[in-house]
Amino acid sequence: MLLQLNKISKWVQSGGQKVFLLKDIDLWVHEGDFISIMGPSGSGKSTLLNIIGMLDDFNEGEYAFLDESVHTLKEKHRSNLYKQYIGFVFQSYHLIDELTVKENLEMPLLYKKHGGSERKALVADMLDRFNIVGKKDLFPSQLSGGQQQLVGIARALIANPKLILADEPTGNLNSKQGEEIMEIFKELNNEGVTIIQVTHSEKNTSYGSRIINLLDGEVV
Amino acid sequence: MFKNHIKIAWRTLLKHKGLFTINILGLAIGIAAALIIFLFVSDELSYDRFHEKSDQIVRVVLKGRMNGEVIKEAVTPGPVAQTLQEEFPEVHRATRLKSEGTPQITYKNQTFRNNKFAYVDPNFFEVFTVPFIKGDPKTALKEPNTIIITQELASKYFGDENPIGQLLDFKEWEQQFKVTGVIQKLPDNSHFHFDAFGSMEGVAHAKEARWIESGYHSYLLLDNRAGLKQIENKLPGVVEKYMGPQIKKAMGMTYEEFKDGNEIGLFLQPLADIHLHSDFADITNLEPGGDIKTLYIFSAIAIFILLIACINFMNLSTAAASKRAKEVGIKKVLGSSKKELIKQFLAESFITTAIAMVLALIVVIIALPLFNNLSGKALVISYILNPKILFYFMIAGLFISLLAGSYPAFFLSSFKPITALKNKFTNTGKTKGLRSGLVVFQFMISVGLIIATLVVDQQMAFIQNKDIGYQKDQMLVLRDSWMLGTNEEVFKEQLSKDPRVSSITMSGHIPAGPSYRHMTSIYPGQNSDALRRSVVYNIDEQYIPTMGMKLVAGRNFSKDFGSESNTMIINETSAKIMGFANDAVGKTATMAINNEGGTRIYTVIGVVKDFHFNSLHEPIDQLIMLNYKSSGLIIRAKTADMAGLIASAEGFWNDFKTGEPFGYGLLDELYNQTYLKEQKMGTILRIFALLTIFVACLGLFGLITFTAEQRFKEIGIRKVLGSSVPQIIAMLSSDFLKLVLISFLIAFPLGFYAMNMWLEDFAYRIEIQWWVFAVAGCITMLIAFITIGWKSFKAASMNPIESLQTE
Repeated sequence: MLLQLNKISKWVQSGGQKVFLLKDIDLWVHEGDFISIMGPSGSGKSTLLNIIGMLDDFNEGEYAFLDESVHTLKEKHRSNLYKQYIGFVFQSYHLIDELTVKENLEMPLLYKKHGGSERKALVADMLDRFNIVGKKDLFPSQLSGGQQQLVGIARALIANPKLILADEPTGNLNSKQGEEIMEIFKELNNEGVTIIQVTHSEKNTSYGSRIINLLDGEVV
Repeated sequence: MFKNHIKIAWRTLLKHKGLFTINILGLAIGIAAALIIFLFVSDELSYDRFHEKSDQIVRVVLKGRMNGEVIKEAVTPGPVAQTLQEEFPEVHRATRLKSEGTPQITYKNQTFRNNKFAYVDPNFFEVFTVPFIKGDPKTALKEPNTIIITQELASKYFGDENPIGQLLDFKEWEQQFKVTGVIQKLPDNSHFHFDAFGSMEGVAHAKEARWIESGYHSYLLLDNRAGLKQIENKLPGVVEKYMGPQIKKAMGMTYEEFKDGNEIGLFLQPLADIHLHSDFADITNLEPGGDIKTLYIFSAIAIFILLIACINFMNLSTAAASKRAKEVGIKKVLGSSKKELIKQFLAESFITTAIAMVLALIVVIIALPLFNNLSGKALVISYILNPKILFYFMIAGLFISLLAGSYPAFFLSSFKPITALKNKFTNTGKTKGLRSGLVVFQFMISVGLIIATLVVDQQMAFIQNKDIGYQKDQMLVLRDSWMLGTNEEVFKEQLSKDPRVSSITMSGHIPAGPSYRHMTSIYPGQNSDALRRSVVYNIDEQYIPTMGMKLVAGRNFSKDFGSESNTMIINETSAKIMGFANDAVGKTATMAINNEGGTRIYTVIGVVKDFHFNSLHEPIDQLIMLNYKSSGLIIRAKTADMAGLIASAEGFWNDFKTGEPFGYGLLDELYNQTYLKEQKMGTILRIFALLTIFVACLGLFGLITFTAEQRFKEIGIRKVLGSSVPQIIAMLSSDFLKLVLISFLIAFPLGFYAMNMWLEDFAYRIEIQWWVFAVAGCITMLIAFITIGWKSFKAASMNPIESLQTE
């Protein structure tokens, strides 16, 4: 078991009333799963993904990641945990505009204190794997959306995470680019990487093995 | 990692060019100003420290009070030095210097008279360190009539000849001096600069035990500085033992009686304090010194302008936070710790500061000659390039970048990744409050400096326009006419025939500028208890009308009344002090004519309206005028063509073939020279005030730019709903103008207080008017509004569609 959510709830206070963003969510994820989270706008998809990614807090419930109970961990331990095991892919790519493709890829390795030659080797591997060697010295603004998302995925993968969290990874792309990205996810999943994606598209869910439907913060 | 920080910092800076420019420009101006002030201050503080034993040398000074007159003199009676050495074992050496002005010095057929000459004791150069090029500092002045000259003077007189053993002729004194040593020119940061030092050995007066006559600068070399207080505590005993008997002889009262109402004492002043802490009577100072207050003012300005530049950095970085939020979010998600982010933001401030420092150095190199011109200093940039100072400079740079960068670094790095990424980031009230506080501080300093500048300007104008009791415009002063000897009268006659001349008086007593001042002791009637010192002017019959002075009672000296040798004219202050009230004419006063108790009685024939013969720093004191001969001419002209008059006077002068160049002065210029220090300070203050407000406005400009960007959408909506351009400008700028207004509330009372303190140095001064504050406020408000208004206008006049489409 990679992670387990047990009766997770999150709410905000509004006018003296609790407004639930998530309510009593139970979720098991095994290694090698490819899960799609679906639901209309405001149903709590992104909030759930952020909680899984430990970027956001929850108010109630239990969360165990690799048998460590996340809700009892201190902030610092928690961030060490996600840095080590989780890679993030965003709808709007979130590359750093001031850095080149190569440098963007290198960034997570810097924070993990890899040596210089090791970084170079890993970056070269990634560039190769995603066929973007020719783009390595370009800045994000010089790339198409699809290419930027490729870099985003490569960056998420470079530190060899167990889990990839993707928040509408194809949301800003045209259908052809979107298909390419989903093919890559499929391949990665075949290689053993666990993937959880938030998506609006029925088509995208077909790449995954499980679908979770959310409505008003509850699993339906 | 470090390389990466620098790289990303550099690219970020380039991306935000406007912000970067404002920060660099502000910091560079701040650092350059601080550097120049640092050079100025360290030069002022370095005075007299080049002497090897500078921390063991002290000067003996005289302070006291006689019948209400405050005595503060940098000179002492002649025997003081020798006596102190004999009395106190802690005094290692004692030496004296007696300044003798600029006598004519002749060698063969060459005569120069711009050389400053002083007698010094033979051991003078064992106390003070002055490098000898030729001769031995220990023995050079052992013999009477020996002289040590500077290299400069030696080459002027002797060219390539060996100066040692040559004879220099002092014709006026009928004396010849043998050159026994050549020294280097004294450095600028010395409290005395003489071109020639004669041996005190041959001076009879210097050996006499005269205890109630001053004139010698006395210096002691102590075993150690710690002994200073101990010796000073024992000095009253020395005064009583030696001065007491002579006071009795001269004034006919015992020391005990003298001390009833009077005091006189010797004090020790460390050598290093002489330049900045010499509030002694001007004529007793060897050279006009510096002022510790100016140093404080300038240092404060340096710190303020740096602070203002740092505040710009902080304010703009936090205001621009929304632009950086996404980057912070991504980095945190990718695994960056808060520490790494702080390092990265600090790297940005390091780079900014480093570039600003380089820029500042360039600015200093360019601006230093200008500043030297204004301040009368000869500061050199090479002082900074010495490794120790350079090291301090680096440390200071590090400190500045930490000061400017640490708050933004902590603030920016503390964003939560999820909020940052979702662009939900808004400027929190806390940082906005702090930013407002800092803006208030910036403008408080700016408006404070404007107030200071206005007050200094006003006081200077007051000095210019004050009725000083005599005419200073169109007055030509020919001090050197004494050189003509008996021909002086002839010269005067020739000049008086010139139609441009209104009148001429022959007197060397000039109420403005540096001039020889004769003092005497005087008391009304026979009442010797009321003995007090007074300035004496020796004048002729034309002096009072020529100088445009007014008699308030009695008459002027006149040939019609026969001999005037026992009559005198006194000023109003004298009449008051001597208790003559309104009927001074006909009263008598007794004047001491020597120190052995000899006196002479004078009858008052007139009272002259008080005029300022001291600077306006000091109140008008007692002055008497006697009808004795004095050399020097003062010419009152009828014409604005002073240059023509000077040229024709020079023609007459040259006909006498004195071999001396013609020298002259203009009374109004001499008058202004007295306030040169204040005028320079005023100019420098104005420049720094301008720079400060410029840097503060740079920051304001940056802030309004961000505000306009942040409220881009709001502006669009308001316009769609019908808001006019002026309404939007008002909305955008009112927040900032409010802050500027608040800064006034703090700056006005502080400025009022500080400037009144500055004015206290003047016995005659302006009252600070309310409109000074109004003007300073309006200027600041106007500049702030122009800064904000342009950006606000641009933001307000954009097409609302643009802003609404971006969402």
